[in-house]
Amino acid sequence: MLTHFEHFALTSMAGAEDSPPRANGTLCFAEEWERSAFGVALALAREGHFEWEDFRRNLIAAIGDWERTQAPDGPSWNYYEQWLSALEATILQSGLATPDELSARLATATATADTRSA
Amino acid sequence: MTDRFHHPDDREARSAARVRALEALLIEKGVITSKTVDTVLNVFETKMGPFNGARIVARAWVDPAFKQRLIEDAPAAIAELTDLPEGMAGAEGEHMRAVANGEGVHNLVICTLCSCYPWPVLGLPPYWYKDPTFRSRAAREPRAVLKEFGLTVPESTEVKVWDSSAQIRWFVIPERPAGTEGMSEGELAALVTPEAMMGVAVAASA
Repeated sequence: MLTHFEHFALTSMAGAEDSPPRANGTLCFAEEWERSAFGVALALAREGHFEWEDFRRNLIAAIGDWERTQAPDGPSWNYYEQWLSALEATILQSGLATPDELSARLATATATADTRSA
Repeated sequence: MTDRFHHPDDREARSAARVRALEALLIEKGVITSKTVDTVLNVFETKMGPFNGARIVARAWVDPAFKQRLIEDAPAAIAELTDLPEGMAGAEGEHMRAVANGEGVHNLVICTLCSCYPWPVLGLPPYWYKDPTFRSRAAREPRAVLKEFGLTVPESTEVKVWDSSAQIRWFVIPERPAGTEGMSEGELAALVTPEAMMGVAVAASA
């Protein structure tokens, strides 16, 4: 039984993951939503909507929270889930959206996702 | 599909929905356009990436004085390479420092805090770099982790582990492979992989 790390090490080195974008042999994103989450955060920082360091601090906090509550070698780790949490937190802090706007949108979106996966 | 695999699928769908909702809301409010996002992604996928790091390493291999300057002040040395794209000092490219592998020393770069990574030079980080198990194990037992990557470092060689942070982002100048005398900088750069610049591999042989 491979540990989570070995699984990722092997799949990324052997190139067995499903068709993610690659740069010079390096696996970048496993899913399109990860690429989007990355792009939105970068675009917002580039346009000056928030400081990159503020996003970083939220990312560090999100990862720290995850590590305190989960087994670090458990199967549930996903870096871009933490990234997404940090992005939502930073968007709220910088006033780009209100909590009400965001939660209304998220409720609709996740309800749609639930219906699809049910 | 078993229950075991159902849960992650569900999470994937929810995460995808969250991102779509977020992006749609920001676009509707006029904060960003989909073009803004595409432009940023395009820069990271085509202009910033491990090909830049590979050129920096190749220059260090052919020019020992440049290598010394790179170790002493990486951003200044990188700025000398005027044919690199602009923005090498941008998001995550600032505060870079280089360490060189050599006789009796092998360097490994990790980030125990949050997977800091010099994107403009090394491209987007590979999956395992961001994995908490990799981050904690590489700090605790680097030789064992390197072995799993297929790299056996002799006992007589010291393994130095460098922990990147918001203040310093490390990258490794791997050793120039034997038998590469007379190769052009472009040919040399092709031997340099992102893995080699993180220290989980060495440069490819000629």
